[in-house]
Amino acid sequence: MRPNIASLSLLCCLPITLLAQSARQEKTINLPAGASVEAVSVSPAGNLIAAICSDHVVRVWSARSGDLMRTLEETSECMYCALAFSPDSRRLASAGNSGVSVWDLAARKKVATISPPFGGSPALAFSPDGKLVATADGDGFVRVHDANTGALRATATEFLVELLAVAFSPDGKSVLAGGADKAVSIIDSETGKVARVLPKQSGVVSSLDVSRDGNRAAVVYHSAESFLEENHVILWDLEKGTVLADFQKPGIVMIGGAFVRDHYVLAATSANQLTLWSLP
Amino acid sequence: MLTRRDVLQKCVALGSVVIASNFSPEAMLAAFQDREKQVRKPTPPNVLGPFYKRLTPVNNILRAPGDPGMPLTLFGQVFNTRGDVVPDAMIEIWQTNHHGHYDLEGYRYRGKLTVGKSGAYSFESVIPGHYPDRICQHTHYLVVAPGHKTLVTQLYFATDPVFEGDPAKNYSRDPLLQTPELIRPVMLTGDPNEVHAKVQFELCLERL
Repeated sequence: MRPNIASLSLLCCLPITLLAQSARQEKTINLPAGASVEAVSVSPAGNLIAAICSDHVVRVWSARSGDLMRTLEETSECMYCALAFSPDSRRLASAGNSGVSVWDLAARKKVATISPPFGGSPALAFSPDGKLVATADGDGFVRVHDANTGALRATATEFLVELLAVAFSPDGKSVLAGGADKAVSIIDSETGKVARVLPKQSGVVSSLDVSRDGNRAAVVYHSAESFLEENHVILWDLEKGTVLADFQKPGIVMIGGAFVRDHYVLAATSANQLTLWSLP
Repeated sequence: MLTRRDVLQKCVALGSVVIASNFSPEAMLAAFQDREKQVRKPTPPNVLGPFYKRLTPVNNILRAPGDPGMPLTLFGQVFNTRGDVVPDAMIEIWQTNHHGHYDLEGYRYRGKLTVGKSGAYSFESVIPGHYPDRICQHTHYLVVAPGHKTLVTQLYFATDPVFEGDPAKNYSRDPLLQTPELIRPVMLTGDPNEVHAKVQFELCLERL
C-alpha cells in the first residue's frame, strides 16, 4: 500500500481538517459526498492546498479561506497519486495511473503531459527553478522531464526496486531518491547517473526533503512489513553522509514533512490526531 | 428500425467501412457479428506496488521444496478484447511468501515467463500470506504484449477469510479492490494430507 496515500486517507477522513500554525485555528473543507483524499500538497507560498480526491478530481483550495479555487479533472482511476507544487506555487504537477500532468493554475490549463510507465509515478518533485519535474516511477526508474514540454531529459536506471520519494537539491544539480531499496541515492539531474548513496537503513524510504542550504536531508523510513507501524526519521548531513539526528517516538507514525526555514517540520499520526513536530 | 445489416450497408456506402475486393458484404457481416460475439471485457487494472522489482528472472516455479504454505498453481490464458489469443505476452508475477513477507533483497516468489502460441501460462507458488498493510491476500501481475496496453493488476482469492465466503458482497472491504472480478475461485485438489490449490486467472488485454 502506498505510504502517503494510506496514511493520509486515514488522517483525512472526511472532511479535511486544516490545522493552522496556531493550534486553536482550525479550518474545515468539505468534499463532495463519498469522496475522500488520496494525496495532498500545500503550496510553497502557503496560499493553496491541493488534493487528489477519490472521485478522480484534483481540487485546489485557498488555504486561507478554504474556498475551492480550481478543479482539475484528471487521473482516470487515481490508483497511484502524488502532487507537487512548483516553487513559485503557480503550477501543480499531478501523478496518477493516467500519467503526470503539469497544470498552469492561473491559466487553468494543462501545459505538459508525461506518459506514464506502467504502474504510474508514486512520487514527483519540481526543480527549484520550476523547469524540470523528477518522477520516481513504478517501473523502478527515476526520470527527469522538461516541465514545459514533458520531454524526457534524463533517466536513472541503476535501481531494481520501486522508489517512493524524490526531491531536488536546492541548486537543481541533483535529484535525491529512495524507496524499497532502503537507501537514498543522489543522482545527477543532467545525466541520470547515481553519484552517491547514503548508508542503507533497515526501513523503506517513504518521504524525503532537502534543506534550503542543501546541507541536510530529512528522510522518513518505514518497516517494509507495514507503513502503519511506528517508524523514524533521520536527518542526514549530506556532505559527510552521516546521521545528525534519528528521531522516533513511541506510538506515532511519521508521514513526511518539509524544511521550513532552518527546521524540519514533520507530520505524524497518533491516536486519530495529526501532530506536527519541529526538528532543529 | 434499422437492422445491423442496414447499418453496415450504410457504413459501406458512406465510406465508413471499406471492404476488401474479395470480401462480400454478406461475408463481412457474418465475420463482424462473429467478432462481436467474442468480445471480452478487459481485465481490470489494480495498483502496481510498492514492491515491484525489475529484472525478475525467467522462472515459473516459485515454490521451493519444503516451503511453508498451501501449494498453488496459477494458470490461464492471455486474450485481447477481441477474443484473440495473445501469443508472446510476457507475464510477471510477484507476491509475499506464506508469512506475508515480500522479498526485496532477492527474487523469492517473483517470476516471469513468455506465453507460447496458445497464450497459456502457469506458475507454481503458494497461497500468499497476508501482508500487514493490506486487507486481502493477493498476487501481483504485470502483462506486457506487443500491440497491447500493458496490464498491471492483482489476483485475489475467493477463499480469503476477509470475504467471509461472499466475495461479491464483501470485496470492498479492501479499499484497493474496486471490483469482484479480480477475485477468483480456488479449486482444491489432492488428498486431505496433500491439498493443492489451483486458481484460473484469464488475462484480457486492451489493444493499442
